[in-house]
Amino acid sequence: MPSLFSNRFASFLSGLLPVVGCVSLLLSGTASAVESTRPTAVHSMPVAEVLHSSTSTVAHEAAGHEAALTPNAPVLFHLGPLPVNNSMVLMWVVSAVIILVTRAATKDLKENPEGLQNFAEWVVESLRDFLENILGRALTAQTFWFFASAFIFILTANWFGLLPGVGTVGWGTPDASGALTHISEPLLRGANADLNLTLAMSVVFFVGWIYWALKANGIGGFLLHIFGPRGDAKGVLKLVLIVVFLCVGVLELVSIMFRPVSLSFRLYGNVFAGETMLETMSNLVKALAPIITIPFYFLELLVGFVQALVFTLLTAVFTLLICDHGDGHAEEKH
Amino acid sequence: MSIVTNLAEITGSLHIGFAALGSALAVGIIGMKASEAVGRNPGAATPILVQAILSSALAEGIVFFAIFLVK
Repeated sequence: MPSLFSNRFASFLSGLLPVVGCVSLLLSGTASAVESTRPTAVHSMPVAEVLHSSTSTVAHEAAGHEAALTPNAPVLFHLGPLPVNNSMVLMWVVSAVIILVTRAATKDLKENPEGLQNFAEWVVESLRDFLENILGRALTAQTFWFFASAFIFILTANWFGLLPGVGTVGWGTPDASGALTHISEPLLRGANADLNLTLAMSVVFFVGWIYWALKANGIGGFLLHIFGPRGDAKGVLKLVLIVVFLCVGVLELVSIMFRPVSLSFRLYGNVFAGETMLETMSNLVKALAPIITIPFYFLELLVGFVQALVFTLLTAVFTLLICDHGDGHAEEKH
Repeated sequence: MSIVTNLAEITGSLHIGFAALGSALAVGIIGMKASEAVGRNPGAATPILVQAILSSALAEGIVFFAIFLVK
């Protein structure tokens, strides 16, 4: 009974729970930090303001006088000092779904998996094979919990956000004729259409990246990896190269600092743009809305998968770049 | 003179337009080369997909910088 699968499964489950917990904790932290600066639904967040001025004009023109999707998720209610917005509600739902499915799949493990257990094993094993191809066996064993959890969570959140009812059930103010045409505070909203969540995941990765990098290289090796000269030059040339690579190291440091920013904006931008596009398309010709949105729904299914893959791949490659010593990797492959 | 005055009339989020143009070209070229590579060596489809998605993500990121970070 205690087969290979159950061991893997238990370690995977134990990895999944903390990362979901970490993400939600960090989300609360960043959410309250960002949201506390704005009084009500006014966009006082600088990023959101830039976004609002640049994208909502386009959406306004396309959708006539309809109000467009707001760049920052509207706050529904307050839990003590913590403002809860609709993206957070969807994130909790998604986390609960993942945890419940994982628990149901691992409830009674069979030697010959079937049903839910089979599906869960297929997901975990495909991810493990995929990551082992990129990272190698040793690094995958160390980092699998994060990459697999990030992939599963982002994919589930993206696809969950496409379900009918997300973004269309909620509260709004009726127009002059008394008809409710626009929901300004939906109950649910795509989880990754909130910059706080994507930023929280990037920051969790960044902390993990520093930990894995220091564990693989040590502090000296870590600094050498960034600032140290490469190649085997000798004499005066080597001295010159040391200066050159010191400057290269500074550039690399800037690019490393920028990674969490680009990771979070990429995911947020894609999901938010997708939601805006679906809303715009459904407002284009009211009568044909169910037909017009169909191709875009399929596009969004694809985008949701690709963005989960991109987040996982980019973070995995960043980790590989800092942890790879160029030795032991080649012989592992043969 | 008329060209100059016409150009001066252009307003709006030009930076986003140019960034979108650039990254659309980049993603197109990446897709073209990836398809060519898979055509030449169908066995290497998975590694090529990884490379292609990585580079298109990096190229695509420029638009988001233009949208969110440029004032």
